[in-house]
Amino acid sequence: MSHTEDLLKRLPNDIGGLPADDIEQTDHVLLPWEKRCHALADVLDFHKIINTEEKRRGVEALGAEMVGKLTYYERWIACFAVILFQKQILTPDDLARKIAEVEARYKDTTP
Amino acid sequence: MQTHDHEHDHDHEHGHQHGPNPHYQDPKNADTPPPGYYEIMEIAVRELLVEKKLITPGEIRRQIEVLDSRTPALGAKVVARAWVDPDFRSRLLANGRTACEKDFGISFYDDTELIVLENTDKVHNLIVCTLCSCYPRPVLGLPPDWYKAKPYRARAVKEPRKVLEEFGTHIPDDVEIRVSDSTAMVRYLVLPQRPAGTENLTEEQLAALVTRDAMIGVIKVENRSNP
Repeated sequence: MSHTEDLLKRLPNDIGGLPADDIEQTDHVLLPWEKRCHALADVLDFHKIINTEEKRRGVEALGAEMVGKLTYYERWIACFAVILFQKQILTPDDLARKIAEVEARYKDTTP
Repeated sequence: MQTHDHEHDHDHEHGHQHGPNPHYQDPKNADTPPPGYYEIMEIAVRELLVEKKLITPGEIRRQIEVLDSRTPALGAKVVARAWVDPDFRSRLLANGRTACEKDFGISFYDDTELIVLENTDKVHNLIVCTLCSCYPRPVLGLPPDWYKAKPYRARAVKEPRKVLEEFGTHIPDDVEIRVSDSTAMVRYLVLPQRPAGTENLTEEQLAALVTRDAMIGVIKVENRSNP
């Protein structure tokens, strides 16, 4: 039985029943941007721009490495950007320009 | 657009709030570190969508308020009502969403269905989302991190007794454990067993005993009211 067959049968999110570590009872209070990101997800759902299942598949499509290394809300915002490109609601250029603008806003801290 | 950008000769005491909304950071506030890569992406995506008039800043703010208003205390009220009111209990088990909407005015902002699973002497219920993090957010708020992490998602469906032991919960072998796997559209809430010795408690006192983890099903409700 080939290893690649397993990859096809189990996409990255499909982990039910797999062996895993002991449960660490972790929790944290959401950072302000994480809460905004959550609210953004809900508002995108209300407007039928990105629904819950599209978000889940979008996270899965980031691939196993990113799913493993990014935090929960990092995965969400990354997949929103990709889905918005795919739906031609935003372009990569739009986002790059806006990111530069936001970075400049926060760098400009001279008194 | 006039803002408060130029009131910058105040001294920089730590811990004070800048601006009226704690959910947004003042770019000129030197007290907080600059946003990281992903936060900048969140700001950029949100502002672009606002510029394109697809969403409004007011909608994000209102949804943050909705999220803040949902905590396990809400679910606890629902559980306590089900313990004291048999009519409500049957309606809740028949259709969790409509019972919560009708009797508690809880809005299901994510348009999900709610199935309430009753624990008995013979059955103990546990909820999970193996694929991601689906959770009864309208009645419990946001899930804890462990609920969203791999170990719980992977193992709850395979070895629930062992998982429950890790939460300090021992379920006897003659009690069936049912694990329900949530989806984007269908969410579950566990109706825990009312603990013995609580016959004289009020509905409000009962609600105070019900915790988030008991409504996920990883622990039982304990009677903490007795000395």
